[in-house]
Amino acid sequence: MLEALVKIGLLVGGLMTAAAYFVLLERRMAAWTQDRIGPNRVGIPLTNIKLWGLGQPLADGLKFILKEEYTPAHVDRRLYVLAPLVILAAALATYAVIPFGSLIPSFSIGQFKVEKPIQLTVAPGVDVGMVYVFALSSIAVYGVILGGWASNSKYSFLGGLRSSAQLIAYELPMGLGILGVVLAAGSLNLNTIITAQAQQGWYAFVQPLGFVVFVVAAFAEAARLPFDLPECEQELIGGYHTEYSGMKLIIYLIAEFLHMITASFLIVILFLGGWHLPVLTGDPTATSIGWVTAILRILVLQGKIVAVILFFMWVRWSWPRFRFDQLMNLAWKIMLPLGLVNLVTLAVLYEAYHVYVGRDVTDPVGVNSGWLLLIVACSWIAFIAAWIVVALFNPLVTDNRPRRDLSLTTVDSQI
Amino acid sequence: MKPDDPHIKWIAEPQLGLTGKMYLPLLAQGLTTTFKHIMRSLHGEAVTVSYPEEEPQFANPQIYRGVHRLNKDAAGRVKCVACFLCATACPAHCIDIIAEESPWPDREKYPQSFAIDELRCIYCGMCEEACPVDAIELTSLYNLTGRSREEMIFDKEKLLSIYDMTKDKEPMQSPAMGGTAT
Repeated sequence: MLEALVKIGLLVGGLMTAAAYFVLLERRMAAWTQDRIGPNRVGIPLTNIKLWGLGQPLADGLKFILKEEYTPAHVDRRLYVLAPLVILAAALATYAVIPFGSLIPSFSIGQFKVEKPIQLTVAPGVDVGMVYVFALSSIAVYGVILGGWASNSKYSFLGGLRSSAQLIAYELPMGLGILGVVLAAGSLNLNTIITAQAQQGWYAFVQPLGFVVFVVAAFAEAARLPFDLPECEQELIGGYHTEYSGMKLIIYLIAEFLHMITASFLIVILFLGGWHLPVLTGDPTATSIGWVTAILRILVLQGKIVAVILFFMWVRWSWPRFRFDQLMNLAWKIMLPLGLVNLVTLAVLYEAYHVYVGRDVTDPVGVNSGWLLLIVACSWIAFIAAWIVVALFNPLVTDNRPRRDLSLTTVDSQI
Repeated sequence: MKPDDPHIKWIAEPQLGLTGKMYLPLLAQGLTTTFKHIMRSLHGEAVTVSYPEEEPQFANPQIYRGVHRLNKDAAGRVKCVACFLCATACPAHCIDIIAEESPWPDREKYPQSFAIDELRCIYCGMCEEACPVDAIELTSLYNLTGRSREEMIFDKEKLLSIYDMTKDKEPMQSPAMGGTAT
C-alpha cells in the first residue's frame, strides 16, 4: 500500500514537472528551428540569475492559476467542468501499468526494511496491461468530445468532432501495430514485453512494419503535427478547448502533453526495447539486480523517452499538416491494410517458427537465432513490399480540380 | 470559367517518381532542413538580438528613421532658417516653430523655439525631405522612452543636443549644405 502510494506520488509529480519542462523544451525547439533563441529570461525571481530560462514553466503555471477562470454563459456547466477532469484522469491513470524503470533492489533505512525487490510500475503484474492502456486512451476521447459539446460553440464543436473521428480512426491501426508485439512476446504485460525484446531483439528491427504503423498512429493519437487537426490554430482558433480558460485550460494542455509522453513511453517500451541496452543493462531475466544496473536501466529508459519526444518536436516543424480527407484516407486506406499485412505476416512467421523449431519464440529455453533472422528478413521484405504497393496505388491523392480532358457535360454533372 | 476556355493556360503537374510516392525524399528533406536550422541556432547563429544586452546593428544608420535632431553649422549656430517647410510637410502636425528675426546677417529668420512632439510623430521622414538647408534630420536612435507626455515634446535645446550626441556616428548628409557624409 505504502509502496504504491510512494510510486504514485513519484510518478504524478515527475509527470507534471516533465510536462511543464517539455513545454519549455518545445518552445526552445520551435525557436531554434526558426533561427530564434526562445524563452531564456525567467530565472530566480527578484534576482538577475537567469538559469537559461528554467523558471519559465513556474511562471507559466502561476500565470494560468492567477488568470480569470471565465465560464461562458452558454455552456452546459456540468459537462463543461467534467470534461477536463475526464481527460486528465484518463491520461494519468494510464501510467498505472507503464513501467518507468525495471527493478530496484531490496534496501533498509534504519527500522524500515524492504525485503523484496521493488518493481518500478505502480501496478506490477497487471497481465492485461496493454488492454488497460487502450481502454483508457479511448476514454480520453470522451474528454475531447464532452469539452467540444459542452462549450456550445462552433469552433469547439468542430474541433471535438474532428478529434473524436481522428482518435477513433487511429485506434485501429494502433491496435494492429501492437498485436504483432503481443504475438511475439506472448503477453500483454509491459514488463514481460521488455524482457522478451531483450531476448529476441528490439521489435523496431524485428517488426518494422508494425513499428511504422504504430508510430504514425501514436502521433495521431497524441494529436501532434502532422496530425494536429483537432486544434489547428490556423483553422479552428483552438479546437475543442477554445472556450476554456485558466486552470481548466491548463488541465487540457497538460493532458495533451501527457498523451505525447504516454505515446513515447509506449513506442519505447513496445518497440525500442524499454530499459534494455545491450551490454549495459545486465541479464534481463534476473529477478534481482544491483543498484548500478537498476539506475542504469532507469536512465536508459528515460533517455530513450526523451529522444523520442525530441523526435516528436522535431517532426512538428518539419512536416506540413494533413488535410482532413487525407488524414482519414491515411487511416483507413493505408494504415489499416498495412497493420493487417503486418499481423498476418508475423502470425505466419511465428507459427512457422513454432512448427519447425518445436517451441515458441518466448520459450525460456532460448531463441533459435537462425530462425529469428529468417523472421526478421521476411518481415523486412514484407515491410518494403507493402510500402511500395501502397505507394503505387497512392490512395492519398484525391484530386477534384477541373481537368482539361473533361467535357463540359461531365463537369456540370459533377456539380 | 469553363474548362475549354482558350484563355486558360493549362500547366502539367510534375509527376512523382516511385520514391516520391513513397514519401521518402520528402520526409527526409523536411527533417534535414529543420535539422540544419536547429544546428545553426545551437551554434549561436540565431538572428535574435538579445536586447538590452546587445544593441541591434543597423546596416546603414544614415537611412534609419529614428529621433530627430537639429543640425548646427560650422559656427555652432542652429542651421534652421525657420521657413516652416517641415511643419507644412509634416502629416502628423507634430512640429511647432516660432520664428523670429535673425540676429545674424546671413539669413532673415531663425527659430526662436522649435518643438517636436515625438509621440505624435510617425517617423515618416517628410520633414527631412522638405528641409531646404538640411537642418532637420532623423537619427538612428530607436530606443526613445519617457515617463510623461510633456517629457516627449522635444524643444530646440534638446534637439540640438541630440545633434551633439550623434554627429560623430552619423555625419550630416548633404556635402553641398556643409555636411560631411561620404
